[in-house]
Amino acid sequence: MIRNYLKTAWRNLIKNKFYSIINISGLTLGLAVGILILLWVQDELSFDSFHKKGADIYRVEIFGGTGASRQIWTVDVAPIGPLAKQQLPEVKDQVRITGNYIFSLYKYQDKTFGDERVVFADPSLFSIFDFPVVQGNTAKPFTDDNSVVITRKTAKKFFGDENPIGKVIRADGKVNFTVSGVINDFPKNSRMDYDMIMPMSYHVKDALANNVDVNSNFSNFGYETYFLLKPGTSLKSLSAKLFNIHIAHKADDTDVEYLLQPLAQMHLYNADGTNKGMETVRIFIIIALVILVIACINYVNLSTARSMLRAKEISMRKILGAAKAHLFIQFIIETALLFSLATVLALGLIKIVIPVFNQVANKQLVFDLTNLHVWYIILLTILGTLAASSIYPALMLSSFEPLKALKGKISAKIGDVMFRKILVVTQFSFSVLLIVGTLVITSQLNFIRSKQLGYDKSHTLAFWMRDMGKHYDAVRNELLKQPGVLSVTRSSSNVIDNGSISGNNDWDGKAQGQTFIVHPLAIDKDFIGAFKMQMVQGAGFTGAVADSAHFILNETAVKEAGIKNPIGKRFKMWNTDGTIIGVVKDFHYASMKEKIAPSVFYYFTNNLSTIYIKTTGKDAQKAIRAAGEQFKQYNGEYPFSYYFLDDTFNSLYKGEQQQGVLFNYFAGIAIFISCLGLLGLAAYTAQVRTREIGIRKVLGSSVSGVIGLLATDFIKLVLIAILIASPVAWYMMNNWLQGFAYKINISWTVFILAGTISILIAFITISFQAVKAALANPVKSLRSE
Amino acid sequence: MIKITELEKFYRTEEVETIALNKLSMHVDTGEFVAIMGPSGCGKSTLLNILGMLDDPDEGSYVFNGIEVAHFNERKRADLRKHNIGFVFQSFNLIDELTVFENVELPLIYTGVSASERVKRVEEVLDKMQIMHRRNHYPQQLSGGQQQRVAIARAVVNKPKLILADEPTGNLDSSNGNDVMELLTDLNEQGTTIIMVTHSEHDARYSHRIIRLLDGQTVMENIMV
Repeated sequence: MIRNYLKTAWRNLIKNKFYSIINISGLTLGLAVGILILLWVQDELSFDSFHKKGADIYRVEIFGGTGASRQIWTVDVAPIGPLAKQQLPEVKDQVRITGNYIFSLYKYQDKTFGDERVVFADPSLFSIFDFPVVQGNTAKPFTDDNSVVITRKTAKKFFGDENPIGKVIRADGKVNFTVSGVINDFPKNSRMDYDMIMPMSYHVKDALANNVDVNSNFSNFGYETYFLLKPGTSLKSLSAKLFNIHIAHKADDTDVEYLLQPLAQMHLYNADGTNKGMETVRIFIIIALVILVIACINYVNLSTARSMLRAKEISMRKILGAAKAHLFIQFIIETALLFSLATVLALGLIKIVIPVFNQVANKQLVFDLTNLHVWYIILLTILGTLAASSIYPALMLSSFEPLKALKGKISAKIGDVMFRKILVVTQFSFSVLLIVGTLVITSQLNFIRSKQLGYDKSHTLAFWMRDMGKHYDAVRNELLKQPGVLSVTRSSSNVIDNGSISGNNDWDGKAQGQTFIVHPLAIDKDFIGAFKMQMVQGAGFTGAVADSAHFILNETAVKEAGIKNPIGKRFKMWNTDGTIIGVVKDFHYASMKEKIAPSVFYYFTNNLSTIYIKTTGKDAQKAIRAAGEQFKQYNGEYPFSYYFLDDTFNSLYKGEQQQGVLFNYFAGIAIFISCLGLLGLAAYTAQVRTREIGIRKVLGSSVSGVIGLLATDFIKLVLIAILIASPVAWYMMNNWLQGFAYKINISWTVFILAGTISILIAFITISFQAVKAALANPVKSLRSE
Repeated sequence: MIKITELEKFYRTEEVETIALNKLSMHVDTGEFVAIMGPSGCGKSTLLNILGMLDDPDEGSYVFNGIEVAHFNERKRADLRKHNIGFVFQSFNLIDELTVFENVELPLIYTGVSASERVKRVEEVLDKMQIMHRRNHYPQQLSGGQQQRVAIARAVVNKPKLILADEPTGNLDSSNGNDVMELLTDLNEQGTTIIMVTHSEHDARYSHRIIRLLDGQTVMENIMV
């Protein structure tokens, strides 16, 4: 019996090529995109989920600062971890990880590398987390302070196929590290991803040599700390206990609040529960569902519409003894056949587009059909869509009254037409929603890109000078002689995305207990001029000796500190008690997602390690070459790497840009699928109304009249869709914009534009069929009855 | 075999109620060949549909083979129908997507006959209808006469006790029409009861008895000699 069903289904498919192609291509696209998005979602949700003890691992974070400057830091002080483990029974284990600011060059025999991601960590890193030691001693991954654990990839890079254990890597030409362990490369869905891990004990020793006792330093917030907790530990009471430990050692840190962030949530949430990437994940899930729903609607619409044309077959089957269940199963099988075809095509399509998708989405998704998780997604998607699109048509078809159907008395029933109309409206509502989304996202991203930052970052290359810094004046003179170099200046860290923060400050009138977090930046005397920043009040640095006790604040800092007539007023930062000599106009040194925060320029030439070379753009390559030569001259074998400020700036919005691009693609595809459905429906309508059109033409209707007749019905539906979708779109996009401190207003023209676009698209789609129907010879169409 | 008593059927639209069958009574014996005639709208198709259990009457009794079926639900009617009744239509109503063989096979599938048995029986009946050579063709590839023969093959493949024919020659030329009538006569002679609705006096002459309807009532019965 099933063979018979399959045969009929297949022949139906072949016979109605036009509808089959519309149905299959719509489903294929929908399934492919739906599965692709869900794979992306699955990847996002899987971050850091592979650790066996993951449910009991937490990152210790800090809510620090007061007032407007209060924020979450994912790093804390070094002693808190070991102290907690010592004093609190619920803390079974802890690990601290800190970045490497000591070495930058690693050498083995004649091989030298400089781009390794190196951290210092406690050995418990390998027992708390599932980063198993595959070579070396699992129980004791670090044999001594001068040992190092490396990944397989790093081992391959340094030693080729030789056994890495016991090999010596020389760091910066002065310290030897012996490889004591090899771990697997970090999984792609791990937030942690390093090449070499050196023992925390080395870092502690190195700091001691510089008179800093890491293990009692409660001022340096520079360590990522993870706890392995006993199951069922109360996070609230633990965070209170951590605060008590902290305050016992540093009484004035009353504004410090400890937070415990579950490992699995690190990727998508902030420690205070606010979302970091979860919103995007949700949006993408919704988009995937929308696209699948649109594809299902196409299928349901076309198959119910066309069922009228199959009335004869269905009735005959009934008369010959088919029960309702027979017919129901027949149509389910028919849909399943179509879906199988679409599925095969969709899987092929995914295989083809996944490299492009990975590039756009900055992912490394592997479409591996031997992976069970991939199949979960595929099966879930397909069974869901199959059920959604087969049950209604099957029910409807199997409940035909055979006699009426046979006599052609089942013409489009009112209820069904209504149902189809609702589906079309739904489809186009989604489309309008996506069009509005695309327009808003695009204009917001344009807004960010074109917004005046308050300084000129164009064609400026920058890099860390290292030893060249000691010869800065000579280098500067040399570079300024180069054609294409407009200016050269320097500062303590990158002006874009200045991450340094300090709460160590004071001024007359500062409230008791107030923690005022500022972003300090040491700059050279010509920095403000070179970046074309504007002074609102006072003057810049001149390079005089007195400048070391001078500060320049930005407008926000002056406003938030509440300093009236700031010029000449006292300001203290760290140990320097000095005066404010100028106020610089606010400038964006971080992402537009954040409000401009208080910023302080100070003058301390020892700290000016980042050089900026502004070029004409055209001669940028020459300037890079010259800068590279200078770098080599003073830094020897250290590799020269530089970046353009424009790129750094763009990378701040990389996530948004990617989302924007993906959103555009998805919206395009969703609209395309909707149009396929519309095309099919228009064709069906034209077919069903052939007689009516014929009669109208005989009675004198013009071609444009007929086109209007066919198009009006659909355009009306699109108009309703616009009315429904616009407020929803406004609400959703307004929500999205809340993530930006600096944002556009959604103007009503967006909706007019989105509406016009969708009407236009719908009209063009319908016109194909309408024109065809209108041009047909009425004699022929009347005879066909 | 068939006994109907005071059968009534109404069709209602929003404004008008039409009486299709008006207290109609009749009976058909096993092995009879009965023609039903009458002008358009006299209720003959309605009658045929009720006899074929495709439709149910509003009032009255319909006893088929000693079983009262007037108030059977759709499932029961379908079950009784598929084992006992074959249909032949004016417009053949073959399924375009199925071949000749598959069209004829269909009733056997729905009555749950095994595959090997199906092949045997379909081939047998196709042979009898002399369209064996067309078994793998699709309906559109056949002439009208051939299509109707396939339709008859399909109607008889389940060995029904009753065949209901609704103007079986209506879409055929006279030579093909005569062939079809000969086929029906043969079937009748082999014991199948046949009830046929027709407009054609010529075709009606093949039957044993003509029942003439007007406005949903029997107006005359002619016994053929």
